[in-house]
Amino acid sequence: MSEPSIALALEAAEARLRSILQTVPDAMIIIDERGRIESLSTTAERLFGYRAEEACGHNVSLLMPSPYREQHDAYIGRYLETGERRIIGIGRIVVGQRKDGTTFPMHLTVGELRAGDRHHFTGFIRDLTDQQLTEGRLKELQSEVTHMSRFTALGEMASTLAHEINQPLTAISNYLKGSRRLLERMEGENVEMLRDAVSKAADQALRAGQIIRRLREFVARGESERRIESLPKLIEDASTLALVGTREHGIAVTFRLDPDADLVLADRIQIQQVLVNLMRNAIDVMSEGGAVRRLDIATAGGPDEQVEVTVADTGSGLAPEVARQLFQPFVTTKRKGMGLGLSICRTIVEAHGGKIWVESPPEGGTIFHFTLRAAPHDRENEDA
Amino acid sequence: MSKAPDVILLVDDDAAVRNALKFSLEMEGFSVRLYPTPEALLAETDLPADGCLVIDYRMPEIDGLELVERLRNRGVALPVLLISGRVTRSLRDRASGLGIRDVLEKPLSDLVGSIRRVLDDGP
Repeated sequence: MSEPSIALALEAAEARLRSILQTVPDAMIIIDERGRIESLSTTAERLFGYRAEEACGHNVSLLMPSPYREQHDAYIGRYLETGERRIIGIGRIVVGQRKDGTTFPMHLTVGELRAGDRHHFTGFIRDLTDQQLTEGRLKELQSEVTHMSRFTALGEMASTLAHEINQPLTAISNYLKGSRRLLERMEGENVEMLRDAVSKAADQALRAGQIIRRLREFVARGESERRIESLPKLIEDASTLALVGTREHGIAVTFRLDPDADLVLADRIQIQQVLVNLMRNAIDVMSEGGAVRRLDIATAGGPDEQVEVTVADTGSGLAPEVARQLFQPFVTTKRKGMGLGLSICRTIVEAHGGKIWVESPPEGGTIFHFTLRAAPHDRENEDA
Repeated sequence: MSKAPDVILLVDDDAAVRNALKFSLEMEGFSVRLYPTPEALLAETDLPADGCLVIDYRMPEIDGLELVERLRNRGVALPVLLISGRVTRSLRDRASGLGIRDVLEKPLSDLVGSIRRVLDDGP
């Protein structure tokens, strides 16, 4: 081809690309192999709040929150080096960040384009914020977590019931035992009959306690399965779920993940349930008002093989009398709901050998903390 | 002359449980002191040298384990029995980590037996 015809062909190709970018209904972003944004479709401009000329030339990590922002170059690097596909051609649900700092769940598929020895990547993005979530991993995750929530709610009810009924049963059986002792010192025609009746009544109180124990064991049976899980991954999945439908609330989400808090021993679904619960609570509180709306999720490796997770909001905080009772079942500050969420969180965290507590700092907001056991280190690697 | 009765210090936030246990333990010959909250026990200035602590696990603000931890930090070495409406393995593990003698599930079929064992073993 002669030079002018090459130029013409290039121009035509570029015009085609421009028209595609303007009309494609999906948000579409093309980056080069160093992660720099080359072009943005009109829908992508709207979705992220950047105009194409603002975003082009910047690293695509601009469009994602920490810690993904810092890791993205390494993802591309790893792919170019190993050819191992983690997202290309597969599609995943990830978190995007708009220009105003707010974040949202999105479905991302990435295609690869090779021109000579250069790679380009095309990302197709669907905003999942307002969408009826009917497909893929999100649905799967969601149904797992809701199933588990219902299941745990049932277990929690049985367990709460057991606890509450055991209190009066303890009182009954001990009054009866004391009475029997008293009767042993008494004499009279009817005393022996009375002693017998009191003993039998005490036995029945204990029997009621056993029935309750069996009910509780039945509901709680074998549902917990602990494995070694990546804490950042658990948080990513949970935040994806928790952020659904939060767009209108304009909440900025930050992640501060300690590399030392990586692998934990956890039942994935249960810990996700705890995380989703805490995040949704934070979002609910902040959507009621307040100028600053920031959800901060942080992890920290601690001593004694423990890791700590915190979920902090900038909502109205907690009155001390509420904070004190917050983890008790059937305590709620919401108009809807049974007040089982945090009680379930406590049950789950404690079953994992951790602790959960809440802090309401003087400067406002609420911070939930919980701990998990770090997965044991690989000894071979350590000794080497 | 018979020796002074052993002292049981009981911490439970449920009044009916407290009063019923006091009644039955007194009928067994113990001297029983009641504390409605962990704070009330922590404020006690006259702890006996011997005896046994019976502490409910689930209480608002400070739970039974935390109370035991605070007592140990203050050098209180009295033996402890933990009672709870619900006893899990993780609760047992944490309790034994704090040197708690036994964890008993309500409605407490044999509290007296456990107290006697603890008192016989000594501190």
